[in-house]
Formats: sequence, C-alpha cells, structure tokens
Amino acid sequence: MKTVLMAFLRKELSQALRDPRMRVLLFVMPVIQMAVFGYAISTEIRGIRLAAFHAPNDATSRRLVDRFFASGWFLPVPAEGGDPFSLIQAGKADAVLVAPEHGLTRSLGRGAGEVQLLVDAANAAKARAVEAYARSIIAAAVPRPSGTGPAGQGIALDVRVLYNPAMESSVFMVPGVMGMIVCLVTIVLTSMSLAREKETGTFETIIAAPLSVGEILLGKTVPFILLGLADCCLVLLAGTLLFSVPSRGPLWMLAVASAAFVVTTVSVGTLISTVSRNQQQAMLGSFMFLFPANLLSGIMFPVENMPPAVRWAAYFDPLKYFVTLVRNIMLKGGDPWVFVSNVAVLALMAVLTAALSYRRFRRTLE
Amino acid sequence: MAAIGISAASISKRLGRVQALDGVSLEFAAGTINGLIGPDGAGKTTLMRVLAGLLRPDSGTVSCSADGVATPFSEVRPALAYMPQAASLYPDLSVQEHLDFFRDLYSLPEAVYRPRASELLAITRLEPFRDRRASQLSGGMYKKLGLMCSLLRSPSALLLDEPTNGVDPISRREFWDLLYRLAGQRILVVIATAYMDEAERCSRVHLLDRGRVLSSGEPRQLLAAEGTAGFDEVFIRRARQEAA
Repeated sequence: MKTVLMAFLRKELSQALRDPRMRVLLFVMPVIQMAVFGYAISTEIRGIRLAAFHAPNDATSRRLVDRFFASGWFLPVPAEGGDPFSLIQAGKADAVLVAPEHGLTRSLGRGAGEVQLLVDAANAAKARAVEAYARSIIAAAVPRPSGTGPAGQGIALDVRVLYNPAMESSVFMVPGVMGMIVCLVTIVLTSMSLAREKETGTFETIIAAPLSVGEILLGKTVPFILLGLADCCLVLLAGTLLFSVPSRGPLWMLAVASAAFVVTTVSVGTLISTVSRNQQQAMLGSFMFLFPANLLSGIMFPVENMPPAVRWAAYFDPLKYFVTLVRNIMLKGGDPWVFVSNVAVLALMAVLTAALSYRRFRRTLE
Repeated sequence: MAAIGISAASISKRLGRVQALDGVSLEFAAGTINGLIGPDGAGKTTLMRVLAGLLRPDSGTVSCSADGVATPFSEVRPALAYMPQAASLYPDLSVQEHLDFFRDLYSLPEAVYRPRASELLAITRLEPFRDRRASQLSGGMYKKLGLMCSLLRSPSALLLDEPTNGVDPISRREFWDLLYRLAGQRILVVIATAYMDEAERCSRVHLLDRGRVLSSGEPRQLLAAEGTAGFDEVFIRRARQEAA
C-alpha cells in the first residue's frame, strides 16, 4: 500500500513538475489571477442584515430605524444579546445601528444627536454600500432645521468599519480568489491526469496490475491533494505579501479548511474523470463544474442577493463554504461556529464525492 | 511459482455494432508460447482483454488453472502480466523512472528487483538509455521497455498484444529470444501478432478471423493440414474464396 502510494506520488509529482505548462498552471497562473482579481468588482447590495439597538420609548430612533427598513436595502435582524459587536462577529448581522443610551430624542434636544453604525467590512463592496445607504437615509429622515445647513445636520453618523477599516476590496477578494484558484487547479489537474492515462493507454496497464481499486484511486488523488495544498500556501503567501491581506485567525484553522476543501475538489476531479474518455472531455467536464461553482460561490456576487432557486443551488457549491471559511478566518479571526459548521459541510461533501467516485471507478475498459 | 493455464470456452463479445468475438473456445497450456494470428480486426485485442479481465464477455467463460488445479481468476490475476497494444508508457518519464514506478506498483523487494532489472536491461540492451525519456525512444526500444515493465515481477502468465508491431527485424529477433527464455521457465505466453512469420516461432498457433477461430494447433501440423507453406497464404486464400 505504502509503496504503491509512493510510486504514484513520485510519478505524478515528477510528471506535473516536469511539464513547463503544468508548472505555469500550478505556480504562475495563481499569482497572476490573484493580481487581476485583487481589484474589486462592485455591485449593488441588497438584503443587508441590520440590527438596531435603541431604548424602547425612543420615538426618534424608532422612526429612523423604520426608514432604514422601508428603504428596501435592509432586512431586520433581532438585536439580541446586548452586545452589538458580537452580532457582527458571529455573522448574524452585516450592520448594527446603535442609538444613544438615553434616547435619540433627548440627545437631539441637546443638539448632540449621534448614532453609531457598526459595519462588517469583511466584504468591502458591501460595507461601502451600507455606509452610503445609511448616510442618505439619515439625511432624509431628519427634517432640515429651518436654517440653511446641509441635510441631516441634526444627527451625526459615527461609522465604525470593522475588520477592514480601509475598506480595501482586495482584502475581501483575495480570500475568494484563493478558493477559486485552488478549486481550478485541483479539479483540472486531477481529472486531466486520469483522463490522460486513459487516452494514452497507460490506464490499461494500471488496471491490469495487481492493485486494488482503493490503491489506484489513492495513488491518483493523494499527489494532487498535496499539490493543491502547496498552492493554498502559495496563494496565501502571495495574498498576504502582495495585498497585505491580514491573517487574523489561527493558521491551523486555515489548514483544516484547506484540507477539507482540497479533498472535496480532488474527489470532484476524480468523479469527472470517471465519465471522461479523454483529456478534452475531462477539461470540458471540469469547466462545466467550475463556472457555476465560481459564480455561486459569493466571491463576486453575494449569495444573499441571488433569487431563492439559485441560492439553493449555491448550497451545493463547495467553493461557497471554503470562501466563507477563508474570509471568516483571515479577516475576522475565525468564529468557532462558522468554522465548525462550514468544515463539517465540506467534510460531508468530500466523503460523498469520494464514495461516489469509488463506486463509479471501473476496473474494466467498458 | 505455479504453472498457469487458461482456457476460454465459447466467448462472445459485441463491441458497439461489431461482433468482435463469436464463440471463441481456446486452450492455453502452461509453459507454451501461444500465437494469436489473424488480420486486423480479427478480434485479437478483444480476446486479449477478455483474458486479462479488462473486458467481460457477453457469454462464455474464462477459467484458469494453477498446477492443473482450477483456480479463480482473482487468485491468478496477481501472477498475470499484460502488455497492451496501444502505447502504454509515460512519454515524460525515463526508462529508469518506468522501472522504479513499476517496481513500487508491484511492491517488489529490492532483492528481487535489482537482479531482475539488470538482467532485463542487459537482454534488451537498454542499459545505455536508462535516462532517456520514453517519448525519445525508438519504436523497438519503446516496445522493449513495455515488455520489461511487464516482466519485472516474474509473472506466471504473459499476455502480449502485438508487442513487435513496428519493431525492426533485429529487435524482433531479440524479442523472441527473450520469449523463448521465459517459456523455458514454465511461463505461459500468449502473443497476438499480425506478422505471419512470427506464427512459426510459436509452440501453438490459433488462427483468428472475424471473431472466430479458424484452426488451432502446432504450426507445422496446421500448415500441413492446410497444404500451404505459410500462414499468410491461409488468410489470402480465404479472402479470395470470399471475394469469389
């Protein structure tokens, strides 16, 4: 078992690393893609989950909050727990509005109306939009005093941008692109490698050799899991060095998340190769998976903005869970619940796809 | 090492719209060199794949014996080496890397592998080309490397699908010398070939055409029965009869 695995490991790695095109695919393309995608794509944001903290008898605050929800950009989230910060930390709210302790009515009366807005800028485009919306709503909500001052003069908005204070789009794009690149490389490499063996006839030699299906499958997947993990490190390094993306969470969380994800994508690649006869078919199959996976992952378009049917499909996208994980770990320091739940889903996907490709793998040429 | 015999009983196999094998019954005795002779499309490769367990026949059975005792195929399989007809080496790996890969694939201990590899490299005279990649080998060298990879683990049965196709005459002769040495070690060899002159080198020949066995036996006796001097004449005569 061990020698067989080593045999495949040595063979696959030397084949992959010897081919100049493969070297480019593995080590140059990720960095280029990272540089290209590191710059943002901004879209209109809807469905921002907003929690509001205000005193129950504070009429002015209630009116202001109603305006927020009436705008159509915000969705109400119960303000539980009493700690505005923890709502964002746990990912329950995208923004939290905090009225002054003694009521906005009273502070306005004293001429010092200040409302605090906490914004989750792990997604910078979203954070920027939230801030702009909030400013315009407040400007419209508070009637212009009889004077000539600018709109909304009565209420000052104190915005706290969390996790990504400069609101750099690269900070939230880079973790997403990391997932995209690792997904692309592992799926294409794995499916092509098995398809190439079929195309050149070496597959015949391997299945005729006295090996078990498990040995063949492990031999054809473990090398790509290792290459995929190496790419994770490369992309992470490029992201932190080129774009100074912070990595606030523990490294072991990133490692576990990457391992769960790479095992899933390599299994998907294997599955694709079981239905492909040659490298073109494997390539086509890979892209049929990769395009929707990228679009549904929430890297560029927030999943919350998608219509229900599409959002439903996004729940089957392993990339979505990985991107959620990487963003949460790198930018927010890794919330335990987000980590455990997303890793659990990825692990389940890995087991299912691996079991399916094991079942579909044929030791005959039919 | 057990002496392995294989027997095929009325094997039929349809591939798409072609009836590749049509009731083929053949006996391959341990320690013999069996030639599967026939023109292109006779069903040689399909039969080889059925014997190697890579294709399941639509009907009929393949049964194996070890030292004369019936043995299930799964137990014989580890002792079976199969060399496919299609290019089946890795173009980007060198001769030495192929040997290393197959050594590990077959989990060969160093004590078995080392003498075996140097013996094979000497016989095939590939020793000076150890570091050359498979894509840069000549046709004959390529085939010899393929054979070497199948022979690394001293099989009891060797299935070779057109191993000498496109190989120069000198290399072909060496190839056959190698086969004779192996047969001397009680190895069952089944070799498919379109070269009729190679038929005469086999201990038994099985003439195949369009998925059927025309005749089967010791080469000289077969030729005497057909009243011809060579096997190519047998097929040419048949083709003429059909055209007429």
